[in-house]
Amino acid sequence: MRYCVILILAGVLFSCSNESDPVADKASFTRIYDHDNFSASFYPLDVKQTADGGYLILGGRRITDSNFSGIYILKVDELGGYVSELEVDAAYVNPIGPLLEQNGNFYFFAMTAIGLQTQLFQLDASGAVSDPIPVGASYPAAAAPDGSNFILLSYDNLNKESVVSVVNASGSIVQSQGFSIGAGDAVEEPIINHFLRTGSQLPFQVGKTSSSQYFFNSFYNYTLSLAFTNLGDDEPEGVVQGQQDDGGISQVIQLDGGKFALSRFNFGDNYIIPGSTLNTTGISSSVDLGGNFFPELVANAPVKIIRLTVGTSKRVVYGSNTKSSQIGLFGYDEASGEFIGSRYLGFSNPFEIASLVPTQDGGLVICGTTYMAGRFPRICLFKLSAEEVVQSFQ
Amino acid sequence: MNRILFTGLLVLICLGACAQTRKKQGGLINKPNQQNKFLEKQWWLGFKAGTNFSEAIPTKRYTVVTPTNYAQARNEKAYDSFSKTGGQATLEATFYYKGFSFSVQPTYRHSRFTYSNQFQWDNPENVDERLILEYDQEQRLDYADFPFIVKYDILRDKFRPYVQIGAFYSLLINANKSVVISGTDYASGGTNQFTNEPVIVGAKDLFDHYWGLMAGAGLEYNLGNVRLVLDASYWKGLSNISNVTNRYSSDRLAGIGDAQDDMKLNNIVISAGVLFPMRFLSSSFQTLDR
Repeated sequence: MRYCVILILAGVLFSCSNESDPVADKASFTRIYDHDNFSASFYPLDVKQTADGGYLILGGRRITDSNFSGIYILKVDELGGYVSELEVDAAYVNPIGPLLEQNGNFYFFAMTAIGLQTQLFQLDASGAVSDPIPVGASYPAAAAPDGSNFILLSYDNLNKESVVSVVNASGSIVQSQGFSIGAGDAVEEPIINHFLRTGSQLPFQVGKTSSSQYFFNSFYNYTLSLAFTNLGDDEPEGVVQGQQDDGGISQVIQLDGGKFALSRFNFGDNYIIPGSTLNTTGISSSVDLGGNFFPELVANAPVKIIRLTVGTSKRVVYGSNTKSSQIGLFGYDEASGEFIGSRYLGFSNPFEIASLVPTQDGGLVICGTTYMAGRFPRICLFKLSAEEVVQSFQ
Repeated sequence: MNRILFTGLLVLICLGACAQTRKKQGGLINKPNQQNKFLEKQWWLGFKAGTNFSEAIPTKRYTVVTPTNYAQARNEKAYDSFSKTGGQATLEATFYYKGFSFSVQPTYRHSRFTYSNQFQWDNPENVDERLILEYDQEQRLDYADFPFIVKYDILRDKFRPYVQIGAFYSLLINANKSVVISGTDYASGGTNQFTNEPVIVGAKDLFDHYWGLMAGAGLEYNLGNVRLVLDASYWKGLSNISNVTNRYSSDRLAGIGDAQDDMKLNNIVISAGVLFPMRFLSSSFQTLDR
């Protein structure tokens, strides 16, 4: 009888247990990485998941030695727990994302504080950085992977050109082409303000289409433009023109079948275009692309777009900043462009998106900036589980 | 859930069987045989209500705010013990047999507990640049408790002190949290003390059902045909009350910087009430040993 009671009590204990679940702890979390210095300021540029399940965050930090931002690297574990941080020497400034993955290592571009020359940095998965490799171009603005090479968009302030370069992992420029932004200081002013982070953050972007055509979103001919080029001519093959620095494309990715998912802004308004065919060989205007008007987004909102497979469905997920100071995620069906669902992140303090990346477990990680106590810029990380992604976007 | 009900049923059957095999207990007051025999067994139904005090014991701590240049312990939540009053209402059904009582007491219980943590930012190069924020969080939990209690009457007179032990299973009905952020800002050109309006968030998804054991003592007083009861017990939670899969599911709380710790909930429960007998000795309804 005694054993019977013991067995029953053990059964009760087992059936009612609700103990910690390491899988759940990794699948979903929210983290804000705090520094207790009143004048410290950090912002992320990109996050990548590493082979150990943890995350590597590239960011910028306020430094007193330069008007540009310093380089900040944060390594966290698979639970989002702090592992290490690295404040790179203030001789190097203006880091740009994304983190470019190649052979298990990560690369990013920055520039020297004096001379403003582009440098290529290599990171390992633990967040350790190797000596920078001089690349040569000035004012790096955007980068993208290109097989074993990288595509670099930079601004040449001497020749007043947007420059697209193909750079190999050794830091050598393999191919390069400049495109005139137009004469006069007025065109250059928003670009310099972007680099100093004293003005609007412009949606510089560079990449390559499935038809091996390069594209860049930068100033060309006085206007923020999405330009397509084969890098063989100083005239782009195709241009989607914006409205000087008041309108243009805020982000673009290529989908299957030559379609693009993109977003655009125009004098403060924001439009999401989940599927469109762009004219890559002629001149067109971003205004003519139409799109879904999103008045809930902040003026000229930064937008991040990723492709995501949810179950068997292909989705395009947009991330941006809302006027209610949250990060908004909006999912669309890739084939039809139909709106699927949304998810909002953050409350109380302002939250701003920096990067949106799928994870190994089918979830999503969203990296951004929050302002602790409404004033201290700090890096935040949201991890959504696969179940949460399905709930929101399937 | 089915497993829980099944095992609970088995416990009831087993304890009932144990009770049936007990030897006759001594200590009964010498009464006429017929009444004495009658009084060996009785069913009681009643109602009681009272107050409770809660204590949450964190077993594994979680955080949203993750320091990069100072110790995590500085922001750690400090839990208050038995500082907030809750309330409960109980229906009691008790079977009395030779000094022992076997009681089921379904209870609606509202419990509250609090914790707080503090954040500070300063500048070693400028003492005026300093901000302290304090987050005071109150949890309000509603449970349906299902305890099974064995009582033993120490005396069997008009005053009947008793001791009791039991096990309980608590089903979560509802939960919410309220967060008050207050602070002192020394960087505003003076000392600016402020308190924000509380943020009240539904938090049912953050908590879960739990179980535990209880022990306590009480006093019954026979008044006419009814029995007045006053009891106090300590309920010790033995499983985690937090929902481990929804720890960060509230964007409002996560945005504020709160993540639910794994924790166990203990309660001091004090109740008073009245019990009615279900068996009567005669047409004059003389049922009690008086």
